[in-house]
Amino acid sequence: MWTFIIRRLLQSVVVILGVTLISFVALQIGGDPTFLFVSERATDEEIELIRKALGFDQPLHIQYLTYLGNILQGDFGNSLSYRQPAMEIVLGALPATIELTVFSMIFAIGLAIPFGVFAALYRGTPVDGGIMTLAMFGQSIPNFWLGIMMILFFGLHLKWFPISGHVPLIMPLLQGEFLTAVTNIPKSIYYMILPGIAVGFYSLSRNARLVRSSMLEVLSQDYVRTARSKGISERAVVINHALRNAWLPVVTMVGLEFGFLLGGVVVIETVFSWPGIGRLVFTAINQKDIPVVQASVIVLSVIFIALNLIVDLIYARIDPRVKL
Amino acid sequence: MTNLADTIAIAPVTRSNFSRELRRAGRSMVAAKWPLLALAILFVVLVVAIFGPWLSPLDPNRQNIMLRLAGPMAPGPNGATFMLGSDALGRDVLSRLLYGARVSLLVGISAILVGGTIGTVAGLLSGYFGGWIDDVIMRMGDIQLAFPFILLAIMFLVVLGPGVVNLILVLGIGQWVTYARIVRAQTLSLREKEFVEAARAMGDSTISIMFRTILPNIVAPLTVIASFNVASVILAEASLSFLGLGVPPQTPTWGSMLAQSRDQLIANRWWLAVFPGMAIVVTVLSFNIIGDWLRDLLDPRLKERG
Amino acid sequence: MLRKKHLLIASAAGLLLAGTTFAQASGDTLVVGLSADITTFEPASVSSRDNANVVRHIFDTLQSIEGDGSVVPDLATNLAISEDGLAYTYTIESGRTCHDGEALTAEDVAFSFNRAKDPANAFTGNTPGFVFSSVGFVDAVALSDTEVQINISAKNQIAFGLLAEVYIHCKDSYEKMTLEQAATTPIGSGSYKLESWMPGSEVRLSKVAEPGNFQNIVYRIIPEASTRSAELMAGNVDIITNVAPDQIDVINDSGTSAVQSVQGTRRMYVGFNLSPEFAAMPGGDAIQNPDVRRALQYAVDVPAICSQLLNFPCERMTGIVNPPNANKSLPPYPYDPKKAEELLDAAGWQRQADGTRFTIRFQAGRGRYLNDENVVLAVAQYLSDVGLKVETDIMEWGSVYVPLIRKRNVGPLFFLGSGGALWSPLYDMTDLAKADSGTNYTHWNDPRWFDRWTDIAASKSPEETRVIIDEMLKVFYEDGPWMHMYFQPDFYGVSKRLNWTARPDEKVYLFSATLN
Repeated sequence: MWTFIIRRLLQSVVVILGVTLISFVALQIGGDPTFLFVSERATDEEIELIRKALGFDQPLHIQYLTYLGNILQGDFGNSLSYRQPAMEIVLGALPATIELTVFSMIFAIGLAIPFGVFAALYRGTPVDGGIMTLAMFGQSIPNFWLGIMMILFFGLHLKWFPISGHVPLIMPLLQGEFLTAVTNIPKSIYYMILPGIAVGFYSLSRNARLVRSSMLEVLSQDYVRTARSKGISERAVVINHALRNAWLPVVTMVGLEFGFLLGGVVVIETVFSWPGIGRLVFTAINQKDIPVVQASVIVLSVIFIALNLIVDLIYARIDPRVKL
Repeated sequence: MTNLADTIAIAPVTRSNFSRELRRAGRSMVAAKWPLLALAILFVVLVVAIFGPWLSPLDPNRQNIMLRLAGPMAPGPNGATFMLGSDALGRDVLSRLLYGARVSLLVGISAILVGGTIGTVAGLLSGYFGGWIDDVIMRMGDIQLAFPFILLAIMFLVVLGPGVVNLILVLGIGQWVTYARIVRAQTLSLREKEFVEAARAMGDSTISIMFRTILPNIVAPLTVIASFNVASVILAEASLSFLGLGVPPQTPTWGSMLAQSRDQLIANRWWLAVFPGMAIVVTVLSFNIIGDWLRDLLDPRLKERG
Repeated sequence: MLRKKHLLIASAAGLLLAGTTFAQASGDTLVVGLSADITTFEPASVSSRDNANVVRHIFDTLQSIEGDGSVVPDLATNLAISEDGLAYTYTIESGRTCHDGEALTAEDVAFSFNRAKDPANAFTGNTPGFVFSSVGFVDAVALSDTEVQINISAKNQIAFGLLAEVYIHCKDSYEKMTLEQAATTPIGSGSYKLESWMPGSEVRLSKVAEPGNFQNIVYRIIPEASTRSAELMAGNVDIITNVAPDQIDVINDSGTSAVQSVQGTRRMYVGFNLSPEFAAMPGGDAIQNPDVRRALQYAVDVPAICSQLLNFPCERMTGIVNPPNANKSLPPYPYDPKKAEELLDAAGWQRQADGTRFTIRFQAGRGRYLNDENVVLAVAQYLSDVGLKVETDIMEWGSVYVPLIRKRNVGPLFFLGSGGALWSPLYDMTDLAKADSGTNYTHWNDPRWFDRWTDIAASKSPEETRVIIDEMLKVFYEDGPWMHMYFQPDFYGVSKRLNWTARPDEKVYLFSATLN
């Protein structure tokens, strides 16, 4: 297993190098960002000076190698628009996104299991029909639209939930203000509900269908039939046999799910004024703030790779057929 | 993600086999009703996509800013009627909806074709040859998967500019890894099968073995995944439109129409959102139902991965 | 099972409790919803309007320019300009301090100016990038404790107004700080100080001196227009900027808030790129002819665009300067497509068999100006109505369009806005100070305009200057490189509990805001 982990970690280095190279090249197509940071009245001389100060006067490959060299020393460069260390800015925005992603993942997976199980148990009844119709719609509605509609209905009209904004939870924890973090919990979750649903609704729908079909498959297996014929109560059958096997495919999803939810986060953070990494990186791309984009991409890739590694390890644990 | 390959029992595709399968498919569809309805809906959408320009009552790009944001059935220019209302530039929503079918479907299906083709070729090469080719291709796949797709899409669309072709390429490239992994896994298991050995013994070229002998046996699971993916690509197009990175604003797509309605929702101009929204829901739903049905038909044990 | 039920009830109660603590504006707190993020508190790095609107509450300036264009003293009680117009001597009010208690003297003012210029700092904000390059800033010298002299390289009639944009801070505190500290923890000279800053989320200021009627000002970053409007109507925010035009009526009908519409000073125009490279492009050849440009002025219904797409009745602009300073003898071009077609025929661009006169590319950025995308599409529609085949090319604003603009490489038709001012016509005209100015995106080089700048510099009296200006504006009106559009209106959503009036120059200053 250790050789597996080490091999995966070595591969990850290659992957992260590739990821930085791609984003570096993509942002340099169409010229360097100097023009975004000089006044309209700047002379050619002044523009050249700024270009030099920002480090864009070097050939591209030199810039990239310099960047890699700096990363090895822990220097991710300064944001062009904030003029502060890019990594600090990215790590400052990360907690808000993690809160939102984790919440929506819990929402998407946590509700998908009961929904899927119920739909499977009551296959063909209105319960099944209702849940599956909802799931079908959930897979057809763009998240930004769902977000705006929820703001207007639950936020503005019914006033059940806040319209937008974010109450930090992880940040005070990291800063050692445990009391603030604890007192923030209810409010923080309260603010998370609408954006969390908007991000996670698609995944919830997909996962509910996934759980339903894998549950149906398990229920038709011999051992379940045997258990039933032995007179074990239906409830015990479901919990002890069916459920245990039915949620395996969901576990494999968790890793990929993160990347998927992140896609929704870029849009939803804009709609709900959520100060996270999705909005940060979108703005940074538009402003060609290359150091911030690079730092975000590295952070997100590392999280993504780590998560998938963990998922693989867990999967190997719970499914003895898988050998690492 | 290799469990898919293990779960499918594979028999080589032959001609008689194929027509028998087709008959089975037909019977199953009639029996299941929903897939039949979905297919009918997709057929209608396809007809609209092809004949949209002849069906549209008005020019979808003709503006009448004095008649903007008119509700459904409001009088339009020159005695015409805005049957589904007009948008923020006074363009006819119905006409844009009909034209939009074409672009939305084009984007959805082409992106899948692009991603599916790249992924299939990569997967075949990877699985058939193994070794360093396999390593390189799979590592590229890892890089892409580690890179949140939306960021890649945003980065390239910001730089390349919005456009139907760019959108198809970006959305397509975002899909290839899924296909490559499945095809690779299938190819790995097929490579050693008797009928492949037989083809090899008969002196068939490598290319012929890959594309004539192996590929036909992989098409089935690919179609399942493709039908689910068309749905998610149509949604991805809507999200990118929301970020201003979809098609150019003149080009109607359902996603961009929905995205353009964002400022109007608060003023309750529902027709701008409801009609394109319905079009997306119905189409995506149909693709999903077809995907479900195909999967059940091909192998009841094949896991869903939409 | 019972335990679980209790937990459920408890958490539901928790949610309800939390519900009562909405982030709400209160008696001593004013909440503003901004559409764009604040990126820095470094006075010499501030460049965006939103950023400047926040920072201006933290830093004082030498003088202030009011919404109507009048100049009032701030830190400086007096300004004396030397005979040759190259030395500006300001008298600083004594007894002023910075937020850390340090006394603010002429030396600090000189330091604020010189620090912004120091190449070692590589600042790119409004002060070094716009003010200093516009006035030709040389250096600032403290003559005494209360007198500071600013030296500039060329006589400039609007220098005083530009110098009034420079933020003043103390020397000792800023010499001690690193650039990174200065960007996040400002030590200001104004009536508010920075309390906390969460990038992408909110900025909190608290009051330390007069003027100002609220103890706290909170800026919340709310990028989505619908969300901003919803927060305003729900009473969580007192002022929002950039209200979407189609949401104005909803806000006005809400009963809790109302929209203030102001005709701004930003001049929106469709530029004709007349450079030789573009003359070789389709349509680029046609617009070389001033008659064609004039014909196209008649083709576009600007008042309709204003009233329909911007939800603001406007009078079409007649030139490059804001209305109070315009040449009053010039009437706005009316919408007259027939006349446009006649003039195009006369200029030799008849309709071909397919109804097209010529093809032309129309480039624009997206998401920068009010409803820009739709305005561009509408203009394209009007132009195609008179027989042009318009290829609209709408791009990402920051990373694609701005670089093209800065290289003066956009067109042949392009849509752009240029910030203006009410206090001097020359401020507005400076965009076209020289044919090769960085801001002359059109490459227009008519000597009847550009040769007159020497006349203005030599002019003896304001009256004489005005005559020259009027003549220049007439040339610009008739044969200029702009299709005249409108002055961009600004929409501020304002809560009914607040008494605050918006200014036309995009400056959101809250010093005078009070509760109703």
